[in-house]
Amino acid sequence: MRDDPAVIALVARVREGDQKAWDEVVERYSPLVWSICVRYRLSRQDADDVGQSVWLLLVEQIGSLREPAALPGWLATTTRHECLRVLRTAKRNDAAGLPPEDQFPADPSAVMIEDEVIAAERDAALRAAFAELPGGCHQLLSMLVSDPPCSYAAISSTLAMPVGSIGPMRARCLERLRRSPRLTGVLGGPVSGGPAKDTEGSTR
Amino acid sequence: MSTVADSWNDEALLAALQHALAARQAVPAEFVEAGQSTFAWHNIDAELAQLTYDSVRDAEPVAATRAEPASIRALTFTSAHLTIELEVTPDSLVGQIVPVQAATIEVQARAGDPVPVAADEIGCFLIHPIPRGPFRLHCRLADGADVLTNWITL
Repeated sequence: MRDDPAVIALVARVREGDQKAWDEVVERYSPLVWSICVRYRLSRQDADDVGQSVWLLLVEQIGSLREPAALPGWLATTTRHECLRVLRTAKRNDAAGLPPEDQFPADPSAVMIEDEVIAAERDAALRAAFAELPGGCHQLLSMLVSDPPCSYAAISSTLAMPVGSIGPMRARCLERLRRSPRLTGVLGGPVSGGPAKDTEGSTR
Repeated sequence: MSTVADSWNDEALLAALQHALAARQAVPAEFVEAGQSTFAWHNIDAELAQLTYDSVRDAEPVAATRAEPASIRALTFTSAHLTIELEVTPDSLVGQIVPVQAATIEVQARAGDPVPVAADEIGCFLIHPIPRGPFRLHCRLADGADVLTNWITL
């Protein structure tokens, strides 16, 4: 895990009482907290309970966090503990007599937590880099990743761009994204399918 | 210039971007907003009291064999130094803080001004009517300590 300077700067601002920096921390890492709640199959109400506890604990402890860069890992571990607390309370009666560990054979464990942290870091960096792209690229890439996907014809008419220009612009925009300083050191690990050698865009 | 990023081709990068945006979209807006609103507590040295017992959720096997009416719901919130017991009656909440002591309690809804309630010298307090929607209790103890419960929805 790299020490993301953006995270270190954010934590420093939060410690000074900067609400905007806090909002950004929550915005950036809510998907991490949420995805772990989803892994534990919590109900919406339990997930809200966990979220509240995690963010309140962070408010309490952010001043004493020894390694600001370790914030994502701290959040993931705290979320996991809170999920287990909620599940333990809920299941106390279902499996009376069993020791708590035996009630969670499907506990996704530390490996899952590490995976979620790595994915969350990469996702947050990608969203930050994406947010900084120029408007045209932002719009085009949004349409390209939309679900369901937009046809080139639809993109052409929405962006008032000839269909033949979409391919080259897509390559240019992705190259800008790839070169974003936000992604320095982030894209090393494989995503689903793994990294592959770029054959067309890297010489531009 | 060669970076690690070079090893990501267009398809992989687009798929990664799609994953990143979808992961953010999957998070309910209220989940994020509730997290952002917790910063109001950053300069309040409040201890968090978590729900440790809910009679609806954790009905003890013993309770089922007793002939008590099942209509009174009981909740317990526990922090490092304080326990807050709540009983839900048809029209109000009856509470007690343990160890017993006088305190000022604020009932806080997500929106609107907090409503102050006093706990008497044996820690008992009454909240009437029952708050509609999520709320939490902020207890200020005579010795200056602050305890804040998780959000409660009845």
